[in-house]
Amino acid sequence: MTIAVTTRAPSASLHALLRIAGWIGLGLIAVAVSLSDFLANAPANATGIGPLLAPPSADLRFGTDILGRDMLSETLHALSATARSALPATVVTLIAGALFGFVAARLPRTLALGVRGFVGILASLPGLLLAVLVIGLSTRDWAAVAAGLSAAPFTFVRAFDRARLEERSTHSEYARATGISASTLLRRDLVYEFSDTILSSAARALAAVTLILSTVSFLGFGAVPPHRDLGLMIAAAKPYFLHAWWTAAFPAAALTLLILFARLAAGLDEGERA
Amino acid sequence: MLRFVLREAGRTGLGLAGAVLLAAAITALAAPDAGSGIWHFLVAWGRALDAFAHFDFGHSSMTGASARDELADRLPLTLGLVLEGFAVALIVGVPVGFLFGAGPARRAAAPLVQILSAAPIFCAGLALAFVAANLLHWPVPRGTGIAAGLMLIPKDARGLETLLLPVLTVGLSGAAATQLALRRAGGESARQPWRTQLRRMGLAVWEIETVYGVPQIFAGLLNELGEVMLALFSAAAVAEWVFNYAGAADLFVKSVALHDWAIVSPILLAFAALTMIADFVGRCAAYPLVATGAKP
Repeated sequence: MTIAVTTRAPSASLHALLRIAGWIGLGLIAVAVSLSDFLANAPANATGIGPLLAPPSADLRFGTDILGRDMLSETLHALSATARSALPATVVTLIAGALFGFVAARLPRTLALGVRGFVGILASLPGLLLAVLVIGLSTRDWAAVAAGLSAAPFTFVRAFDRARLEERSTHSEYARATGISASTLLRRDLVYEFSDTILSSAARALAAVTLILSTVSFLGFGAVPPHRDLGLMIAAAKPYFLHAWWTAAFPAAALTLLILFARLAAGLDEGERA
Repeated sequence: MLRFVLREAGRTGLGLAGAVLLAAAITALAAPDAGSGIWHFLVAWGRALDAFAHFDFGHSSMTGASARDELADRLPLTLGLVLEGFAVALIVGVPVGFLFGAGPARRAAAPLVQILSAAPIFCAGLALAFVAANLLHWPVPRGTGIAAGLMLIPKDARGLETLLLPVLTVGLSGAAATQLALRRAGGESARQPWRTQLRRMGLAVWEIETVYGVPQIFAGLLNELGEVMLALFSAAAVAEWVFNYAGAADLFVKSVALHDWAIVSPILLAFAALTMIADFVGRCAAYPLVATGAKP
C-alpha cells in the first residue's frame, strides 16, 4: 500500500451524507433552542430545584449544580443563549469576512494587496485573543460582534484568495474583453459565489463564532450572569467538576454537538479550522 | 531559492511592520490624553512607535513593572508550552495523518477525529484533567501555576504528571492541524501526473514514494507550519487559563481585563511575530523539498 493511496479523499457521497446529517442536527438544535422555555423543567437560574450537586437520576436527568439548579433546564437555556449570540456573530463574519473579502479582491491591485496584508496580520493572531482584545476595548455587550469580527480575518483571507483566482478565470477575461464593466462582473460573481456557498460559509462561520463565543465566556469576557451561556456554565463548574462531572459534561456535550453539526454542515474536513 | 527566500522575507517583514503598527496603536490607548481626539491619539501612536523602536514597550498601569520585563518573564513559559505541544503534535499528528489518510482506517477514525475537532479546547483540557485526576490519580494544577513548581523541564515523575496536562491539551490541538496538513499534502501528491510517468520509466512504487512522495508530503506540512503554530498558540492561551499556568497568554487575558494596554500590546506583537516567523521558516524549509521532490 503506497502513501499516495493512503491519503485519498473520502467519497463525495459520504461528504454529502455528512453535510445532510449536519443540517439535520442544526435543525434539531434550532427546534430545541426555540422551544427551550417549553422543554425546560424550570426557568433559567431557578435555584433549589433539587439537592445541591445531585448526580443524574430518574427525576433529575442531568443532575443539579452547586445551587441546586436543574442541569437539564440550565443546559437548554444556556444552549439557547449561545445560539442566539452566535447568529448575529455569524452574520458579522459573513459580511466583514466573506463579503468584504470578495469585494476587496476587486479593488485596485495595490489597495487590494494592502487590505489583504493588513487583514493577514490579524489572521496571524489567534481569533480568541482578538475577540478578548475587542471585548476589552469595548464592553461585554459587544461579545457577539467581537466574536464575529475576530473570526472574520480568516474568512476574509479565504474569500479574497478565491476571488483573486476567479478574477483570473477564463469567464472574467472574456467578460472584460467584451467590455463588461468591473462592477457588473463583480455583481455577477457575487451572486454566483454566494448562491453556491452561502450555506456552507454560514455553517462554517457559525462553528467558528460558537467556538470563540463560548471560549471568551469561559474566560469571563462573554455572557454576564444571570444570563448564562454554555461557556459560562462550564466555567462555573470548573471548581467542582472533578467530583461532580455532570456539571461540566452536559453543557460541554451540548456545545460540542452544536459545533460538530455546524462543521458537518459546512463540509469541513476532520481537523480543518472553521 | 534565494529569490524565493528574499520574497518571503519581504512579505514577512511587511507583516511584522504591520504588527508593530497595530501593537503601537494599542499601547497608544494607554496614553493619558489618547482619548481626547484623533490628533492626540496619533501623537500618542507616534510616541509609542518611537518607544517600540528602542524596545521600550512602556510600563504596566497596574504593577508599574516594565512591559519588557513582564514579557521576558512570561513568554518563555508559553514558548516552552508551545514547543512541547509541538512535539506532541508531531508524535500524534504524523502517524495519524499517514495511517488514517484513507481507506477503512480513515472511515473508522473519521467520526472520532471529527468529534475531537469539534470539542472546544477548554472542554478537552477539562476532560483531560478529569481523566488524570479520577482515573490516573495525577495532580491537577488548579490555582497553582509557577508557585506550585510547574516547570518546563520536570525534575521528577510528579513534575512530569503536572506538566503533561497542559502540554497534551496544546499538543492534541496542534495534532489536528498536523494530520490535516499531511493528509492534504498526501492527497495532492497522489494526484500528481509524474507518478505514472515514473512508473513507466521503471521506478518501483516504494522508490517513487520515498524519493518523491514523502518529501512533497513533508513540504506540505512545512508549508502549513504557520497554521500549526497558530493552533498551538490558540490552545496555549486556553490551556494556561484552564491549568493556571502563568504564561504570556494568561497575562494577556488578565491584562485585557484590567485594561493594562502597555502589557497587552507586546504580547500581541510577540504572538503575531512568532506565527509569521514560523510561517516564513516553514515555507523556506519546504521550498527545496518541493523543488527536488515534487518536480522530478
